[in-house]
Amino acid sequence: MNKAYLGIDIGSISTKGVIIDGQNRILASEYLWTEGNPVQAVKKLLLSLRGKFDPASYAVTAVGATGSARRLIGVITRATEVKNEITAHAVGTTTLYPEVRTIFEIGGQDSKIILVENGVVVDYAMNTLCAAGTGSFLASQSRRLGVAVEDFGRIALTSQNPTPIAARCTVFAESDLVHKAQIGHSREDIIAGLCKAVVTNYLNNVGKGKKIVGPIVFQGGVSKNVGVTKAFEAATGLPVIVDPNGHLTGAFGVAVIVGRKGAERPFDFGLAEMEFVTKGTNCDGCANHCEIIRVYQNGELLDAWGNKCEKGVSRTR
Amino acid sequence: MIIGIPRALLYHRYHCLWETFFEHLNLQVVVSRETDKAILERGGVCAIDEACLSSKIYLGHVESLLGRCDLVFVPRVSNFGQRDNILCTKFEALPDIVSNTFRHRGIKLLDCNIDGRQSENELSAFMLMRKKLGKKRFQTFYAYMLAKQAEKLEQDSLAREQERRLEEAEGLKLLIVGHSYNVYDKFIGGPILHYLKALGATPIIADRVDRKRALSRAAELTSTMPWLFNRELTGAVQECREKVDGLILLSAFPCGPDSLANEILLRRVSGLPTLNLLVDSQEGAAGIETRLESFIDIIGFRQAAKTAKEASL
Amino acid sequence: MTKKRKVTFPHFGDYCVPIEYLMRQGLDMDYVTPPPMSKRTLELGSKYSPDYVCAPFKIHLGCYIEAIEKGADTLLQTGGVCRLGFYGELHEQILRDLGYQVDFINLAMANYSKPYTFYREFKKINPDLSLPKVSGALLTTIRMVESMDAADDYIRRNIGFEQEEGAFDRLRADFLNSLALVESQKELRYLAGNYMKRFKAIPVLKPKRPLRVGVVGEYYSVMDPFSNHYIEREMAKMGAVVARWMNISNSLFHYPKKEIQARIRGYARYNMGATSMATIERALRFAKKGYDGIIHIKSFGCTPETDAMPVLQNISADYKIPILYFSFDSQTADAGIQTRLEAFYDMMTMRKGAAATG
Repeated sequence: MNKAYLGIDIGSISTKGVIIDGQNRILASEYLWTEGNPVQAVKKLLLSLRGKFDPASYAVTAVGATGSARRLIGVITRATEVKNEITAHAVGTTTLYPEVRTIFEIGGQDSKIILVENGVVVDYAMNTLCAAGTGSFLASQSRRLGVAVEDFGRIALTSQNPTPIAARCTVFAESDLVHKAQIGHSREDIIAGLCKAVVTNYLNNVGKGKKIVGPIVFQGGVSKNVGVTKAFEAATGLPVIVDPNGHLTGAFGVAVIVGRKGAERPFDFGLAEMEFVTKGTNCDGCANHCEIIRVYQNGELLDAWGNKCEKGVSRTR
Repeated sequence: MIIGIPRALLYHRYHCLWETFFEHLNLQVVVSRETDKAILERGGVCAIDEACLSSKIYLGHVESLLGRCDLVFVPRVSNFGQRDNILCTKFEALPDIVSNTFRHRGIKLLDCNIDGRQSENELSAFMLMRKKLGKKRFQTFYAYMLAKQAEKLEQDSLAREQERRLEEAEGLKLLIVGHSYNVYDKFIGGPILHYLKALGATPIIADRVDRKRALSRAAELTSTMPWLFNRELTGAVQECREKVDGLILLSAFPCGPDSLANEILLRRVSGLPTLNLLVDSQEGAAGIETRLESFIDIIGFRQAAKTAKEASL
Repeated sequence: MTKKRKVTFPHFGDYCVPIEYLMRQGLDMDYVTPPPMSKRTLELGSKYSPDYVCAPFKIHLGCYIEAIEKGADTLLQTGGVCRLGFYGELHEQILRDLGYQVDFINLAMANYSKPYTFYREFKKINPDLSLPKVSGALLTTIRMVESMDAADDYIRRNIGFEQEEGAFDRLRADFLNSLALVESQKELRYLAGNYMKRFKAIPVLKPKRPLRVGVVGEYYSVMDPFSNHYIEREMAKMGAVVARWMNISNSLFHYPKKEIQARIRGYARYNMGATSMATIERALRFAKKGYDGIIHIKSFGCTPETDAMPVLQNISADYKIPILYFSFDSQTADAGIQTRLEAFYDMMTMRKGAAATG
């Protein structure tokens, strides 16, 4: 029997799972929508993964969780590692591309840049405040234009003359967009302009003061947008690699971390059939009204968190 | 020797003083071109993202001068002595921002330090520059005096010309309350002045109101406002409020002093229609024409309603 | 006899303890501590503040409103060398427009080069003020602040390695409660010494070469844990020594202006305004001392700290030290901050590991 490691990346939009062996080879993977219910999504994920690898030769000996619901899913799956998604992505990418020097990442809510030297992360930065250079910005603008965000990249490539758009602040961008559309700029020029604006904003904010050296890997949800990729190549003058499996990098990365750490904890796919209940309550201890999350398995409290002080903690109730 | 001057920030206030001074020292002066899209874009690349638009534009201008002059003139101006005469800290930091931003680009600065509280007034700061410029003491002093004279003449004539316009102009008169480096910038204030004229309104520029007079009237509206430029603008509002039909508060995002000073104006100057224009970049100013047009319409409706009310009484 | 004033000052870390002492003992006024800051404080402050003003303005306004609700009738604002210099006048105007009938002691009316003018501002509100009494209380207040700052400095460096979860926090709460009861300078001296011993007696287990993180940034946001989402604590608890020079003692009582300017001459020749010089000087010192990382904290749009950033970027490049930049407004959510801190910690660990093996 060989050891295998399961990595789960659970975000607000999608849930990803990867099983790897001791040599970091992918044995099975799955990608599905979270649909606002992380527990249900993970159950579905486990059911699917279970049928995708050979249980006779491999056994999952440890689990890692990453993504915005990592804490919850880490508790449920008894993960040995609960890692933030930035580290998971960095480890995943440097494992797949040992030569990489710069990682661009643009996700739904935030964007980051990771600088790597000799396979080690030496510097990183994230967007400071607003969502202007992120996926949610593109998504909201796509709704405004009545175009599916998935079609953005394809349409952007047909533009000869991207419309300049102010994208530093979403509020400014929106009024600008409406205006540009009304004075007669074509849809493809506006879309190409938006892609370019995301890149400009990213390089001026997240990438400020960072020395960008190739090879560059571009990942995160927005990396599927070929318009943005092209705009990155134009702005940096360097080729930009987009991994077709880029959406799995976080799950892969946390699985690699689990493998490296070597800690083991028995894992049972039967979890998928168990009942988990999460309860969110507002603590009334002070005016902060911290939202406290409690997780129960078959009626028994597994863990609780969310309070800022000692008042709200009750792990027994 | 060629002195490069970025056409941004304090240039718009002191261009006459600076240019005359250098010319009388027999130095060639190169002023960067008017702000255009390229300057704006390059400024955005050079500057920290959170810095105000005006200072981003400044760095774009500095970059455009690289290789075109021997020294780039970047003065540091902290205050002019009294308590209420301080400038935004941006102007204290400018030489060091520029030298840190362009440190690998072979930039050479001509800087001077105006810090009245540390007994460095304008004259002494200008006199000190002679060392770097290789000029004689008397020649420098003479050039400064001539430059001051030219500056005074220019300011007086601008103020008089505006006073005439304020008395004589037909149609709506709107007071533009904004820093000189925003109002006179081709990209920030340019389109606004242009649209207003196209709409038949007369822009009155708060920055052109006689500065001494404006400064003395500021005390009627605020007791502790620390910034010289904002005090002048506040006093100019007080000076003109009876003679104009509306106010346009023009600011560049996210200007620190304006974030507070505009709010005081909004709260203490009542009864005048006011439009708050916050500009983040030229692209972001899109739709400004629409906003100006509707602002002018609203003033028109209000005045018509007032006239009708008076007629019915 | 006139009614005793109920004065308040916005929260600023835990400095409300010495401020209360000064108000009660020196100025003969009652003190209303604003309710602990919460989401409501932020919401109230943001609702009535201009949109893009810096976050401390909004937080202060929220504190004032909550303290007025609790009975305060006299509000204190300090003035300062940046936008802070105009806070008081606008706060007063906004509160008046909201219909609150309160008095304002706005120290921006005083003149910094003439200390007596501060006394004059207080005297406007309380004509019975006695100068010897104020001076005496002021001295004790200063010592109190110093003892708090010394304790906090030690705690930041050690709390990440405490053996018993919560030991430092509990003793610190005790310490603050005792400080609030102090009546004389002698008592204070004894108390501070005693507590310092007890802080040092708390068992800590530090690795031989722990991660060291330096914190720099804008005056209010860096010193007020609520404003910066308790970043220092979070960082320390992951297992790091956290160092910060910026506090009231160092910046107000013992500010070495000349030395600071001399040390950073290679990066900045002039005073760039407000706290920017201290930020640069400390960052440079952390870099030279081989710290593993620096965290820069400021409120969104803070001009002096924004202007220090090109210098910080150069220091980061020259000394190969990573800097994590935070910019807070009143809407920033917690989760993103936690993720960034964790990632920064992981990165520092990985760099350190690579340096040790490579």
